[in-house]
Amino acid sequence: MVKDNYIVDVGEPVLVTGSSGFIGRRVVENLILRGFNKVRCLVRETSDIEPLKKVINSYDANDRIEIVRGNLFSKDECKKITEKIKVIFHLAAGTRTKSFSEAFLNSVVTTRNLIEAVIHHSCIRRFVNVSSFSVYTNIKKKTGKILDEACPVEDSPETRAEAYCYGKVKQDELVMEYGKKMGLPYVIVRPGTVYGPGKNFIPGRVGIDSFGIFLHFGGSNPLPLTYVENCAEAIVLSGLVPGIEGEVFNIVDDNLPTSREFLWLYKKHVDRLKSIYVPKPLGLLFCILWEKFAKWSQGQLPPAFSYREWAAYWKKTQYSNRKIKQRLGWQPKVTTSEGLEKFFAYCSQIKKK
Amino acid sequence: MLKIGIVGCGKIAEAHAAIIKNIDNINLVGTCDREILMAKQLAERYGAKAFYDNLNEMLEKEKPDVVHVTTPPLSHFEIAAKCLNSGCHVIVEKPFTVNSDETKKIIELAQKQKLKISVGADEQFSGIAIEMRKMVSGGWLGEPPYHMDCYYCYDLGDEKYASAFLKNRSHWVWQLPGQLIHNIIPHAVMKICEYMDLEEIQITAVGFTSQFLRNLRESYLRDELRAIIRDKRGSTAYLTFSTQMRPALRLFAVLGTKNGLLIDQDHHALIRIKGGGYLSYANKIIPLNNYARQYRKNMFKNIRLFLKRQFQMKRGLYNLINSFYNSIINDGPPPIPYEQIILCSSIIDSIINQIYSKNAS
Repeated sequence: MVKDNYIVDVGEPVLVTGSSGFIGRRVVENLILRGFNKVRCLVRETSDIEPLKKVINSYDANDRIEIVRGNLFSKDECKKITEKIKVIFHLAAGTRTKSFSEAFLNSVVTTRNLIEAVIHHSCIRRFVNVSSFSVYTNIKKKTGKILDEACPVEDSPETRAEAYCYGKVKQDELVMEYGKKMGLPYVIVRPGTVYGPGKNFIPGRVGIDSFGIFLHFGGSNPLPLTYVENCAEAIVLSGLVPGIEGEVFNIVDDNLPTSREFLWLYKKHVDRLKSIYVPKPLGLLFCILWEKFAKWSQGQLPPAFSYREWAAYWKKTQYSNRKIKQRLGWQPKVTTSEGLEKFFAYCSQIKKK
Repeated sequence: MLKIGIVGCGKIAEAHAAIIKNIDNINLVGTCDREILMAKQLAERYGAKAFYDNLNEMLEKEKPDVVHVTTPPLSHFEIAAKCLNSGCHVIVEKPFTVNSDETKKIIELAQKQKLKISVGADEQFSGIAIEMRKMVSGGWLGEPPYHMDCYYCYDLGDEKYASAFLKNRSHWVWQLPGQLIHNIIPHAVMKICEYMDLEEIQITAVGFTSQFLRNLRESYLRDELRAIIRDKRGSTAYLTFSTQMRPALRLFAVLGTKNGLLIDQDHHALIRIKGGGYLSYANKIIPLNNYARQYRKNMFKNIRLFLKRQFQMKRGLYNLINSFYNSIINDGPPPIPYEQIILCSSIIDSIINQIYSKNAS
């Protein structure tokens, strides 16, 4: 399966950080399927590695995969972990925290340690930084226009109420800076909303259930979904294809459903939750008023909703995967209808439990 | 204008920085963290003009009047001492230090240097805690001895979250002598200390590992605590710390010889408990109406505070920091008496020694 012109041979060592995570273990699986036989999987001390082990065992690939427990906060450990590594798929991130400092620590400081370690070894051929769609600002773009890799990133992410977005924007900036100043051969990939079995959720782009009833903000907006295996394939390709250093790729599948379609399917297959559709002008007004009150009250309300949040998540936007298809030769192998079927079957199973 | 520095730029430093930004005539001049990127991000977000990865350099170049120490507790003593020796007033996050010896030494140093020091015991400065203080000093409880009952619970989360905590042994909480309990109970102990006599304190503490943690194969960590504290005058206190009680209460009751007071921390309510009763069946009806009225009053008071923009989640910390700055500007007494800080540290020492001793259950 491995093409001759990839920048790394299947016998050369590659590293996957965050490999026990939802996407990480699919990246490992993709590498196994491509025949890679020196895959180092970095997991945290606290991570549950059973799902990753299950993947490895299912391909009887124990001799090809090395699971390493490590701490990216330690510069020394980073040096050990990255020794002889040719390609790094950097998926490790702090996703749950609400603290900006913690998000920064988990995303930026760890990435800096990892990059400095690979620069120290000077044998890296590609550093794949897995970012997120959440970094894009959508404020100046007209409603309904396409969001692609040329669109601007948040210039003041600290004003978004999302620690994760702040961490990811700063992480991307750091990677680019090392690319510019130190010649780090990086590629940044920005997946949309990654879904699939293993994660039971309704994307925030559909709406929120913070107030006892599900508020459906998305309406007719397309959802930038990418099925987890398609996403993993795109991440792996971005580490292998030559001549793409310094590029950014968005990852979204084809035939994206609208928010309304997604919610309808979720209700049909998983849970008949009560929801109210919030028309766009009303949603926008709600976000603006919330933002103003949060500011006026000196943080009495957390700035959870703001014009920036509304623009990033609920403004009508089209998505393009043209660049990643053209440059990486990526095609989503699992169609959106198949993906949604598998996803809802999983969610329904979880719901019944 | 006071010049402020922050050392330690993690999660709790954000709360301090946000408050500093909202106080007039205060200038955040520098942030410092061993990890320069952390110092830089905090400085950028809260408008500090400089950031450092070396405390000596920050103290020398920025010459702050006050330093907020928001590093992990094991470093509090050393950092606070360095700041005091450089002529800065210091406010240290809780736990103040890791033991009472360090607490005494650092307070002595502050007094010797004629500088002020305080601890981030923010719950002591919530609106209801301030009101309780006023009522007690106004004689509502009557004369001591008092009896206190303090429930202070902490939700460890589900099995997944708790397992992650148990596995993460590199976290600084594990390096504290009393680990989880050491990090959480200073708030509760500080409440009790405020109404205790300072001398001849007797403490009996029982600590154990909850069945929940035992099921996760943890047998060393104490996450349940029951303590009885008694002072020379006969004032007593029960302290209950639990990770398993639901709801995860945070209640503090003080009963005097005349009346009592109850603080419900989670709902921000202060309830007056009258010492006297009513005759016969009237006692089963009239007081209930009285309590209902008090809870309703608390609700409206909270709404008023919200509308007046005085109901931030960290309002207690705002009040405490503001009081600390005022004590420096006006050369008044520190917001938390030093004897109380020392007593709190001594009680925590004793509790930890008892629950982690070889004979502890």
